[in-house]
Amino acid sequence: MKILETQELSKQFGGLIAVNKVSMHVKEGDIVGLIGPNGAGKTTFLNAVAGLNPPTGGRVLFLGEDTTGFTPEKMCHRGLSRSFQIPRPYPKMTALETVLTSAIFGNRLRKVKDPVAHSRKMLSFVEFPMAEETITESLNTLQLKRLDLARALASNPRLLFLDELAAGLTEGELGDIMTLIRKIRDQGITILMVEHIMQLIMSVCERLVCIQFGNKIAEGPTEEVARDPTVTEAYLGRQKKKECSPDTHAGAQVG
Amino acid sequence: MQTTKAKSELNLFDRVLDLLSLKPLGAIGLVILVILPLVPPFNQEYLIRWLCAAALIAAASVSFDFTAGFINIVNFGYYAIVGLGGYTSAILVDRFGISPWIGIFVGALSAGLLGFFLGIVTLRLRGIFAAVMAWFMGLALMGLATKAVWLTRGSLGLRVERLFDSPSNLPYYYVILAMMLVTYVITKGVTRSDMGLAFKAIGQNMDAARTSGINPVYYRIVNFTLSCTLAGLLGGFYAHYYGILTPEMMHTSKTVEVLAVAYIGGRGSLWGGAVVAFPFIYAMEMVRSSLSNLPGLNLILYGLLLILVMIYYSGGFAAFFQQHFSKPKNIILYYLVNGKKTA
Ligand SMILES: Nc1ncnc2c1ncn2[C@@H]1O[C@H](COP(=O)(O)OP(=O)(O)OP(=O)(O)O)[C@@H](O)[C@H]1O
Ligand SMILES: [Mg+2]
Repeated sequence: MKILETQELSKQFGGLIAVNKVSMHVKEGDIVGLIGPNGAGKTTFLNAVAGLNPPTGGRVLFLGEDTTGFTPEKMCHRGLSRSFQIPRPYPKMTALETVLTSAIFGNRLRKVKDPVAHSRKMLSFVEFPMAEETITESLNTLQLKRLDLARALASNPRLLFLDELAAGLTEGELGDIMTLIRKIRDQGITILMVEHIMQLIMSVCERLVCIQFGNKIAEGPTEEVARDPTVTEAYLGRQKKKECSPDTHAGAQVG
Repeated sequence: MQTTKAKSELNLFDRVLDLLSLKPLGAIGLVILVILPLVPPFNQEYLIRWLCAAALIAAASVSFDFTAGFINIVNFGYYAIVGLGGYTSAILVDRFGISPWIGIFVGALSAGLLGFFLGIVTLRLRGIFAAVMAWFMGLALMGLATKAVWLTRGSLGLRVERLFDSPSNLPYYYVILAMMLVTYVITKGVTRSDMGLAFKAIGQNMDAARTSGINPVYYRIVNFTLSCTLAGLLGGFYAHYYGILTPEMMHTSKTVEVLAVAYIGGRGSLWGGAVVAFPFIYAMEMVRSSLSNLPGLNLILYGLLLILVMIYYSGGFAAFFQQHFSKPKNIILYYLVNGKKTA
């Protein structure tokens, strides 16, 4: 079943077309990677679907319903959650309160009985390393990312957007994150993740969607997309393109 | 489940305190405030007058902080809304001969209605823009009070029927003290509930709050409506206590005074402003009465203090107290400061 589908989704900022008619879909239970070079429009795409920055064209279908232009709170109640690329906590709240907001207000349609216990469960699920009374202001970026993930999970989403969760992690931490992402999926949560770290993408994503300058340039099984010459070209840039051009042409002729 | 069980084990006194969101120390403070105007030297009329002014500012700072300290919007039109409540009540009492008590009630409702619209108008605006919008609305209200001479007598001033016949300030003091307590109990009760969490969330990070399922429209309107209703209530007291209303009472400098008290007391604490208001207003009145030929001096003092607090202790008195006095070793002191644990 397609849990999410976008049809020619576009987002324009004044003269800049940040997302240009992107059609894609995510199947229930999948871990899908959204990749593309810096400034490709990945975050903008997530925002357009989640309602933080409503799309200027196209349609969003979430769980079979046309949710184009829905507010973020409405999308959250429908079962869409997201973590932020730059984690945005509530500076003066404690870690527990931060998660509580989502546990209490994100579950409007499917109330949790004991939000405090639920929030504690989320904090331990993401292995949040600090005490629950820690004020979020005093956390570092990695701790904030875990906290933000716990917050996103506390609303019991059906679909979870992860925006560069692993950015800035060390090799060892990367392994933890891989396990964590799989653990989330095993809870029955579908994942669409924006990521730059190839190692992580290759090991957890089943499918990939690649965008460049707001346009979708590839979509399909991970191995296939990763081998796609247009994708490697997009990542390696122009200079490499010239050097590689004989190969690419050869490849194209063969294919 | 656990909390309700624990609550039922508390004795009646602690249960009442919990219901009023008061710590034992706060209750003692209130008792002192009740007795204070009866003991010399505080039993002189002009000093009780100062106490009234202090309790009014204390109550105003609580309901001001309910907005500024939680949803993070500084309502620069706050005292204009106080004025709206006052004028509404005064005019109704004057024209229709209704009781001032009913007038105060209607005045509060009218201010609440304006708060409701202010909440809607500023919905799409973030922090500072909403503050500016509220400020302009306040200036417009003040302009209206100045120009609608047929209704308000403009800057000539509107004579208002007083609440009590007696010239004594004492009954007024108990009325405003009660209003202060009501303001505190309502706002603190609301912010202790889930709603308080939603207020803090939309005040501290709108995007995170919205993606966590919080509808900012609803909570902002509720907050503005309640805060302005309480402002209108205080305005009614002001009108029927001082017995005269002029448009100047709605001036932004009055709001700034409330803001200073609320921030020095501690943003988001509600009680901090109420506590510091009393020594402050006393000090300010003393400065004013000894240096009466220097208008605006109190504002300069407020400004300086505010700057000092913002630089050295941005959490204000409440944070200072929390940090240094909230965990005393002595069991009795601990109880006084923290009350009985309910969870
Ligand atoms: N609010 C905005 N107003 C104007 N332009 C914007 C806005 N948000 C993003 N953009 C522009 O849209 C383009 C896409 O940005 P976006 O943040 O979506 O890229 P991204 O793929 O997430 O990049 P990164 O990998 O660096 O996170 C960029 O050119 C950016 O400057
Ligand atoms: Mg991005």
